[in-house]
Amino acid sequence: MDISISGPKVYFAIHTPWFSINITQTTFTLLFVSLAVIITAYFLTRKLDKRKPKGLQIVVEKAVGMLYNLVESTMGKHNIRFAPYIGTLFISSVCCTLIGMTGLFRSATADLSVTLAWALATTAIVWYSKIKNFGLKGFLKGFTEPVVVMTPMNIVSEIAQPLSMAFRHFGNVAGGSVLTTLIYAALSLLSHAVFSWLPEAIAACMPPIFTAGLPAVMSIYFDLFSGFVQAFVFSLLTMIYIGEANPPPLEEKNESKKEEKSN
Amino acid sequence: MGFEVFLDKFESFVGVNFWTMIFAWCNLIILYFVLRKLLFKPVKKMIDSRQEEIDGMYYAAQKDKDDAEVMKKEYTEKLKVANEESEQILKNAQRKAQLREEEILKEANVKAARTLERAREEVELEKKRAVNEVKDSVSDLAISIASKVIERDINREEHEKLIDEFISSMGEENDTEK
Repeated sequence: MDISISGPKVYFAIHTPWFSINITQTTFTLLFVSLAVIITAYFLTRKLDKRKPKGLQIVVEKAVGMLYNLVESTMGKHNIRFAPYIGTLFISSVCCTLIGMTGLFRSATADLSVTLAWALATTAIVWYSKIKNFGLKGFLKGFTEPVVVMTPMNIVSEIAQPLSMAFRHFGNVAGGSVLTTLIYAALSLLSHAVFSWLPEAIAACMPPIFTAGLPAVMSIYFDLFSGFVQAFVFSLLTMIYIGEANPPPLEEKNESKKEEKSN
Repeated sequence: MGFEVFLDKFESFVGVNFWTMIFAWCNLIILYFVLRKLLFKPVKKMIDSRQEEIDGMYYAAQKDKDDAEVMKKEYTEKLKVANEESEQILKNAQRKAQLREEEILKEANVKAARTLERAREEVELEKKRAVNEVKDSVSDLAISIASKVIERDINREEHEKLIDEFISSMGEENDTEK
């Protein structure tokens, strides 16, 4: 029995004179998840009742309210405009991870390309915010703090930030799927071993009975729980990094206070 | 430009496909804008507007309550004043009535006293008149006695007898009168 652990399957490639595009399982997963999420969101928010919310509307409102509360408590009230981005990231992450449980799709987050893309998107926002808030000079000067000797370290940590985020998410999901695969294989081997005393023709027909049960429990942890936790961690890290790049407008507040006092 | 279909080709397990990254970015951006427009903004707006409405209701209710309290205070004050006023009026009326009563009593007393006085005076007058009458009748009597005496020859005994007679007759007269 051989177990193959591989990356996403490549369905087809589009070759151009300059480059070739590989269309993989991940591409389809991403497309499907996006469509499903958009359609779900459309149907969930089609009939919003202000006075008497009921059914799913309550759940949706609760979720959105929690998101905004979390963003406000983590990043501050001034950064509330990032809440939709964080929410999108969280929903994408959860859906792309959990869709692997259906067996029809490969988890998109088990592809390093996806998690790296999301992490780099966060980094792009962080850099953009820093340049906008502190100016290009201030952004570059930030690397030499607290002392000039630390500059290489700072550059390394800046690069490590998205890499660690991407690898953490990817590693957890991919590792979970690898573990599940391994456990499946081990359990079916065990089943075969148990049925080995039967005539070979009958033993071949026996289902690998041990594969029912334990993998389900493992899957609840490795796919469902870990999927949510990793999505949460990824979103939380994004919030923290973006929040750091967008400090609260202290000076303006002080100025306005002074003005109030003088008035 | 070519198109190639693979049946059994896998990417490396830990590898980065630049085009997949582009797809992921595109998906993220599209999803971000769509979800923001479709999900986050309307729901957040709804939550906020509901919160605003509730706050407004609470504010209005609180205001109404405060107003009612002020009104209650005002009315209590007014009621108190009215009560005091009515009490005052009642007291005044009572005092007036008492005064009037006293007056009436006094008047009645005065009237009664006057009536009594008049009655007494009348009695006095009557008495006087009666005395006068008696005096008149005595003098008449005396004159008539005198004339009788003159008509007759009177001696001592006769005289005395006459007087006795007279007095006794007078006494009889008095008795009969009584």
